[in-house]
Amino acid sequence: MNTPIKIYIPNETASNSVGAIEAHRTISRLKGIEEARIIRNGSWGAFWLEPFIEVEKEGHRKGVCYKSVDLSTFNTIDDFLKDFESRQPFDIREIDFIKKQKRIVFSRIGMDDPLDISFYQNSGGYSALKNALNLDQQTIIDKIKKSGLTGRGGAAFPTGIKMQTVSDQDNSLKYLACNADEGDGGTFSDRLIMESDPFALIEGMTIAAFAVGASKGFIYLRSEYPLAKTYLTRAIEIARKNNFLGKNIQSSDFDFDIDLRIGAGSYVCGEETAMMESIEGRRGLVRSKPPLPAINGLFDRPTLINNVVTLATIPPLLNGSHSDFSDLGSGKSTGTMPFQLCGNIQQSGLVETGFDITIGEIIENYGKGTKTGMPIHAIQIGGPLGIYLSSKMMSTKLTIESLQTIKGSVGHGGIVIFDDTVDMSEQAKFAMEFCAKESCGKCTPCRIGSIRGVEIIDRLQKNSSSKEDSILLNELCKTMEATSLCAMGGMTPNPIYSIINNFPNELIDE
Amino acid sequence: MKKLKETIKSFTEIEGGLMPALHAVQEQEGHISKNAISELAHAFNYSKAEVLDVLTYYDDFTLEPSGEHVIRVCGAEACQSLKSKELTDLLTDHFGLNLGETTSDSKITLKEVFCLGNCALGPSVMINQTVIGEADKDKVLSFLDNIE
Ligand SMILES: Cc1cc2nc3c(=O)[nH]c(=O)nc-3n(C[C@H](O)[C@H](O)[C@H](O)COP(=O)(O)O)c2cc1C
Ligand code: SF4
Ligand code: FES
Repeated sequence: MNTPIKIYIPNETASNSVGAIEAHRTISRLKGIEEARIIRNGSWGAFWLEPFIEVEKEGHRKGVCYKSVDLSTFNTIDDFLKDFESRQPFDIREIDFIKKQKRIVFSRIGMDDPLDISFYQNSGGYSALKNALNLDQQTIIDKIKKSGLTGRGGAAFPTGIKMQTVSDQDNSLKYLACNADEGDGGTFSDRLIMESDPFALIEGMTIAAFAVGASKGFIYLRSEYPLAKTYLTRAIEIARKNNFLGKNIQSSDFDFDIDLRIGAGSYVCGEETAMMESIEGRRGLVRSKPPLPAINGLFDRPTLINNVVTLATIPPLLNGSHSDFSDLGSGKSTGTMPFQLCGNIQQSGLVETGFDITIGEIIENYGKGTKTGMPIHAIQIGGPLGIYLSSKMMSTKLTIESLQTIKGSVGHGGIVIFDDTVDMSEQAKFAMEFCAKESCGKCTPCRIGSIRGVEIIDRLQKNSSSKEDSILLNELCKTMEATSLCAMGGMTPNPIYSIINNFPNELIDE
Repeated sequence: MKKLKETIKSFTEIEGGLMPALHAVQEQEGHISKNAISELAHAFNYSKAEVLDVLTYYDDFTLEPSGEHVIRVCGAEACQSLKSKELTDLLTDHFGLNLGETTSDSKITLKEVFCLGNCALGPSVMINQTVIGEADKDKVLSFLDNIE
């Protein structure tokens, strides 16, 4: 008997947003579809090709981009397959966009049903946890320290050191809180892990919890991600059924479980102390540190807080030697970073690569030109608290260190491309507007300063040569930077400085 | 319909139960009513002012019912680069609403959201729980027609 053909139709937010839901509905109703097996896979992260539908016959798997194609004219599976063949199907793993990447953390996305735990295990999943449970906890922490892994949520703090602090606390109850608030405009890497490889996050959390001695985990997921909520809810249930969560995990004496909590539309709740306030059931106001969450965190217990990507990096990191990871890159920028290439760019999507790459190379190798065909004018890196680069700065390296020297940051890895119709004074104003809108309100420079900032930029838009307003804006930015409690107020000036410096005469006349 | 009291009760046993309880009430009733605030305060042993203090911090919790369909237009940077401002203007004009308002027949609420994680296929709009990528006015209106 022939093995049935497999048809892969992604179920993932970006794919669904451009037609995967409709494609699935139509294809699953075709006459003769019983002979095929439909698999709802995740996305490969090459979003410009979505909805990317693949057919696997006799072990060969190829796909076609079905964007804006009306499938409703097909009656039978053969109609569909004939059409499919006529569209020059190709193997997505062979295109430069995927082939040139170094996919370590995102190695599994797109391949299969993200909730198929046998697939997860057959592709290397849960081997790191099984090994870890037989190791001394300190050995695990040491390996993560030596790897040089830094947090991917934005602040790039060394993960191993944070784990050590939590591990050193003598307390009968410790927590792990996964930060899945992913609020930066232009980012989607956490979402992609949660929707297209949720067990990777769950395994990473379980290992981290074991290493630091935490018995209870929270995932704080933003409410704007309903599909991620569905996938995580089911993946947690499946992990429990298979003894990967709950009591005596894999017959060890380690107990750990995960509670999924949903945010409620506040950007600042991605800041770790505001996130804890929110989980505890209060307004998401930032707490001052100390005490560090690692010493006194959720419900006054030691708490390890890490980003989704940081945690999902732990299993593949532990499967190799620590130097496999630390040899990729140097300093704080070791291992891979999932850059999220988006905005006005032809080939948009997730690009996992080493940090040692310039913005020009990322655009040339992966993104190509703008979607609109106009020249690139500005590139935002690192989200709302990051910076804007001009098109003259293509040789800028994307390492944490290199961006730091120009008052920027890799942040969560968002890269947003703008063509030459962008008004940079509007982008500067947006930075202040966003801060005004999302400020938790605790410090005056952030709460009120941002509103004054909007007003000053409004005036500069009418008269960009006003010396008085340009001095005022600079003083305001300096004040916010020096006196804000958290990076919301403290780093909102960064995009503004970058626009003043890199885009002369576009906000302020020289 | 499930009684409010029952909905709320299941959350009083868990750590930090107020946020999930607020979500459950918002989902069940479409907003957080005065009555719900009293019930929440009672169940969690807070004052009504404390409950109000928490819920008004968060955009997702509303004191008034929203329209039957909630349209959220992304206003964050990646969508800005693909002219989300123009799309927002077209939609506010079409419905005769400012952002945050609801039509007088209670059908449509129009809101702004900052990032839907669909930044690679902007501009993005979320209608109820569905994200529309590479959105334009026609796509939004025909989606609404189809769910009516
Ligand atoms: C305003 C603000 C928003 C933040 N939003 C997020 C977020 O959405 N996700 C995230 O992981 N970290 C966010 N962070 C960083 C967290 O405070 C924290 O550093 C991080 O979750 C730690 O995890 P990591 O070490 O794995 O990166 C934010 C920080 C600030 C100041
Ligand atoms: S800087 Fe802004 S967001 Fe941060 S604590 Fe102060 S007021 Fe809150
Ligand atoms: S910036 Fe609009 S979806 Fe992310």
